Amino acid sequence: MIELLLTVNGTPRTIEVEVRTTLLEVLREGLLLTGTKEACGVGECGSCMILLDGEPMPSCLVLAADADRCNVETVEGLASDGVLDEIQRAFVDTGAFQCGFCTPGMLVAAKALLRDHPDATPGEIKQGLSGVLCRCGSYTKIMKAFEVLTGRKT
Amino acid sequence: MKRLREFAYFEPADLDDAVEILSGAGQGGRALAGGTDLVVDMKTGRMRPTTVVNLKRIPGLEGVQPADGGSRIGALTKVAAIESSSLVRDGHRALAKAAGVLASPPVRGMATLGGNIGRASPASDLAPPLIVHRAVATIESRNGPRDEPVEGLFTGPGATTLATGDIITSIFLPDSPPRFGSAHLKIGTRGSGTDIAMVGVSAGVILDAAGGIVDARIVLASVAPTPMRALKAEQVLAGLAPSDEVLEAAAETAAGECQPITDLRASASHRVALVRVLTRRALIEAVDTARSGEAA
Amino acid sequence: MTTHVGRRVPRVDAREKVTGTAVYGVDVRLPGMLHGATLRSPYPHARIISIDTKAAAAAPGVEVIVTGRGFPFIFGSAIKDQPFLAIDRVRYVGEPVVAIAARTEAQAQEAVDLLKVEYEVLPAVLDPLQALEVDAPLVHPDMHTYDRGPHEIVPNTNINTLWTFERGDVQAGFAAADLVVEDEFTAHALSHAALEPHVAVARYEAATGAYTVWVSTDRPFQLRGELTAALGIPSDKMRLIVANVGGSFGGKNTLIAESIAVALARYAGGAPVRVEFSREDDLVATQTRVPAIMKIKTGVTNDGILTARSADILWDSGAYTSNTVGVAIRGSSTIFGPYRIPDLALVARQVYTNRAITGSYRGYGTTQVTWACESQMDMIAARLEIDPVAFRIRNAYEEGDSYINEQIMHGVGLRESLERTSDEIGWGDVDRRPAPHLRRGKGIATMIKPTATPTSSNCVIKVEDDGRVSVLVAAPEIGSGQATVLAQMAADAVGVPIESVVIPPTDTAFSPFNGPVASSRTTYHVGNAIRMAGGDVREKILATAAEVLGFEPEILELVDGKIVVEGESVTTVAGLLGGFGFEGHSVTAEARFTTRGSPLLKAPPPYDWMSSIFWMFATHAVELEVDTETGVVRIIKVAAAQDVGRAINPMTCEQQIEGGVVMGISNALFEEFKGSGGRIENGSFAEYKLAAMPDLPEIIPIIVESDHSEAPFGAKGVGEPAAAATPPAIANALYDAVGIRITDLPLTAEKVLEAIAEAAARDGE
Ligand SMILES: Cc1cc2nc3c(=O)[nH]c(=O)nc-3n(C[C@H](O)[C@H](O)[C@H](O)COP(=O)(O)OP(=O)(O)OC[C@H]3O[C@@H](n4cnc5c(N)ncnc54)[C@H](O)[C@@H]3O)c2cc1C
Ligand code: FES
Ligand code: FES
Repeated sequence: MIELLLTVNGTPRTIEVEVRTTLLEVLREGLLLTGTKEACGVGECGSCMILLDGEPMPSCLVLAADADRCNVETVEGLASDGVLDEIQRAFVDTGAFQCGFCTPGMLVAAKALLRDHPDATPGEIKQGLSGVLCRCGSYTKIMKAFEVLTGRKT
Repeated sequence: MKRLREFAYFEPADLDDAVEILSGAGQGGRALAGGTDLVVDMKTGRMRPTTVVNLKRIPGLEGVQPADGGSRIGALTKVAAIESSSLVRDGHRALAKAAGVLASPPVRGMATLGGNIGRASPASDLAPPLIVHRAVATIESRNGPRDEPVEGLFTGPGATTLATGDIITSIFLPDSPPRFGSAHLKIGTRGSGTDIAMVGVSAGVILDAAGGIVDARIVLASVAPTPMRALKAEQVLAGLAPSDEVLEAAAETAAGECQPITDLRASASHRVALVRVLTRRALIEAVDTARSGEAA
Repeated sequence: MTTHVGRRVPRVDAREKVTGTAVYGVDVRLPGMLHGATLRSPYPHARIISIDTKAAAAAPGVEVIVTGRGFPFIFGSAIKDQPFLAIDRVRYVGEPVVAIAARTEAQAQEAVDLLKVEYEVLPAVLDPLQALEVDAPLVHPDMHTYDRGPHEIVPNTNINTLWTFERGDVQAGFAAADLVVEDEFTAHALSHAALEPHVAVARYEAATGAYTVWVSTDRPFQLRGELTAALGIPSDKMRLIVANVGGSFGGKNTLIAESIAVALARYAGGAPVRVEFSREDDLVATQTRVPAIMKIKTGVTNDGILTARSADILWDSGAYTSNTVGVAIRGSSTIFGPYRIPDLALVARQVYTNRAITGSYRGYGTTQVTWACESQMDMIAARLEIDPVAFRIRNAYEEGDSYINEQIMHGVGLRESLERTSDEIGWGDVDRRPAPHLRRGKGIATMIKPTATPTSSNCVIKVEDDGRVSVLVAAPEIGSGQATVLAQMAADAVGVPIESVVIPPTDTAFSPFNGPVASSRTTYHVGNAIRMAGGDVREKILATAAEVLGFEPEILELVDGKIVVEGESVTTVAGLLGGFGFEGHSVTAEARFTTRGSPLLKAPPPYDWMSSIFWMFATHAVELEVDTETGVVRIIKVAAAQDVGRAINPMTCEQQIEGGVVMGISNALFEEFKGSGGRIENGSFAEYKLAAMPDLPEIIPIIVESDHSEAPFGAKGVGEPAAAATPPAIANALYDAVGIRITDLPLTAEKVLEAIAEAAARDGE
């Protein structure tokens, strides 16, 4: 067992885990932050996307030990005091989800994309979000959400 | 969800310690860089290491620096950083392009150069351009450091010349000569996106002042147990002006000399067809960049 | 007049879904919960000789080990043919053989590695054609002794479903034709690949003999029925609770993780047991779309009038029938397409094979038969040199036409869907060769789909004394937005703001019965039940208001939660009911809606059961670009029109249409199981590829609204037909672009390139 210190959505958390634990397991099972999902376990679907020290990463491939003393942001950290952030708002208004299972990962990836490319072009949006799969096919509405966010026609 | 099996975990802050631990662990030891191959392999059961040594706490292994006669890329440099590095983009276009089509952006933000070489996948996106750019790996071992051309590292799918305890610390990219141009193209299941290559082709050409081909390198992915140089095709080009016919002849030769297998991703014959098309297209792109004299 | 219906109301589940607080099946955690793992068969067909659990039982954390003999029950909806865990014999690679529950999932998985099973390998049936051979091994030698429904089987063969249909004289119809074409098409197995994997948590109380199962399914009552029938227990001993479902597409309609969780829970001493499938198990060992081999023969006159069609369809149910019997019967009949064809004949057979189980998949068989029907329509159009759109319109069903069973069809927006999609895609105008190695083309395909008929839905509406309106319906939110459209309809039916409507999660202990959330039936059936119960509740509230306030009931209205007299609000629902104080006052009403007996279904026996309470039509028009050197296909634009009756919420309709197109593209171009010897080898999203953002074309959703006299607020359904027309539209556009015709799905770049090379060789001759 090892003890980890993680700052999760702004709050420092200490947690004891087995070495073989992934960051995704720590979030979902140790910290009960079940917003972050697993749909493939091998880096292909992005349902488990989180920001690790600000960078989007599939948490299913991150060893928890490797994230010690890091800053972790999950979907649960997007809204503040119950007020949705602009990306969440845009997803709600445009209907950019169906079953919603991919949505936490999609929102986290979208957050990083928008931060790095506030005027992302349609091509940049599609590439930037290419690591998150949506089986329901909400992609068209996600592009619409970005239309709202970037003020640019997709 | 698939759970990882138990293993011992180390985070040495010092390269020698890492070499020591890995050497001590023997066959069961594995270096961990980005983990985008290793953790996947541990989940699928392809690999069951008993000791995992995280290299990320060792200082000095990350980043692209100018070096004597070229640039040096730390083994722990992220693929995303290679894609955006101006030192790589100027002069080593094939590598920059390859880094830009390796997986999705989040995976590129985790995956490292050293890990890509360490995994030694026949489908690797980075090995072919490294070979095109004549890259040399610096390897730390119990017996001290040594240099080996990347080209000579691969011995089979997932197999390298690295011995137990060997750690790649950096890759040296020699400066490209004038009138050098290069390109990297691949095709995966979902067309020309970022999927693992059904076929990948890196090509580099050096032109003389008159525009003739002085030297060419063509390296193919996913058509042999290791990244494969299309030597005969390279010879076809040597000394000739890069006309459409010449480039097509080289492409056809490359298609003729590769001997791919049929697997889950594609049949052998489809791969041969793709080698021909992608080689021609990569050569055209490489020649165009060589001529334009910009970012080669 | 409607206030909420017809508007782009944001989804009622939006907030929980964008904040990550929505609870899905995979998020259910209970105190003391154990975790399951499963040993699966490595062979397609084998006898189990012995199972040695000793080492596993001694492994750390292991609490329960169960085998098929330890829980020897059989389930199945049309044929009771499937054990919870294999009993004595395994019939497909991946079939559960032994299940283990341990304190952690890692412990359970490690213990599975310690199990030893000895098998005697048996000859296997690996494809449906082999299944038909006279001396083929029998997957279920005792099939004729199984409990089953009324459909026909062929004893002592692998044929578990036989269905034939005839109308008119098909030979005469062919004789009357100027051209008769006969082709064979195949549609492949596909994973539903809902991003939420199969999962269940089950608990058993020894004292009462009652199970509680937290499930991720689209049909809690039907699963409960399968479980109680299998275990021989009454309905109150099997309680199913459904959280949010992370996608189903027909895949979560049978016992998958549920059966294993229930078997483990039985021996877990009261501890809840959670069973979650890894993606690998989800891909290779759950259920897939039913693969089909379809022979179709069609007669047509030189003017493009269809005269006759016969079809011979072979469906592959895999090792157990799951929900495939209905697919093979209902799905087969739509191979006649949305066209008036006088003379028809159909033979549909479904066989067992030693392959992973297949089942219903978004469209219930229509994705497969639409592939055959609509590909052949274009092949005929090419032979006759007539325009594919005009050819379809010439034969397409119109309002008041009779269906193949003589049901008179109403609400037929088919022609409009053909016209508007072809307009939108710019039919007939193609920039053929944007670059030397690129060719472009356009293609169209259409489809028809019935809904399961007759079925029923119940609804209880409960208005609390603070004005909140609970709508109790067993309609789990599987992603298609039903909670939102049901809330919209409830708000209008009662006369309250949508914000005051809540749709609690489904719990079979409290929710009234509903048919499955499938077949695009929810909006129509549950909507009608809501409309009925909502009207009742409204009357009751107004009656109470009349009594309390001393008005004549006739002059009262309930508008936006307010009691209104001659345009003036006199009080609110909360004010009225809250006024009863401690005495309390809650208003409830219930309704049952069934389509049985509707005059719309009238048709002569024996095929009256083929009538559908509404008919759905969808047309997709595709523009694409082919790289003739690599075979890579890029979809540029898809115009997708669907006749939805009336859009209760245009946004949720668009979601279904757009999502259907993405799924259709993914199905047609990328998805495919690979492997050999009955083994699926690409059990990972690394090798089973789904369409991602870069594959997204421009999609123009077009909502066609036709009239339907019995629909709630005019609404039919939308979700199921949405993916079926895309693959044949792509195949037809490929033909338009490069003159190739591929008849077996998928349309991989490899096949496209091969076909281009063959065509070039042919033209060179
Ligand atoms: C979703 C997904 C998509 C992918 N797509 C592509 C793709 O398109 N193209 C492609 O080429 N790859 C792809 N990969 C594979 C992978 O991302 C790359 O190979 C990556 O570069 C590996 O780097 P890493 O740092 O993650 O390696 P790790 O997983 O950390 O290590 C890989 C192997 O190399 C060894 N190793 C690591 N560092 C060193 C070192 N410094 N010295 C010696 N040995 C070392 C490890 O022990 C291990 O055996 C994909 C992976 C995923 C998950
Ligand atoms: S679960 Fe991590 S990428 Fe799919
Ligand atoms: S909304 Fe269902 S997977 Fe994206």
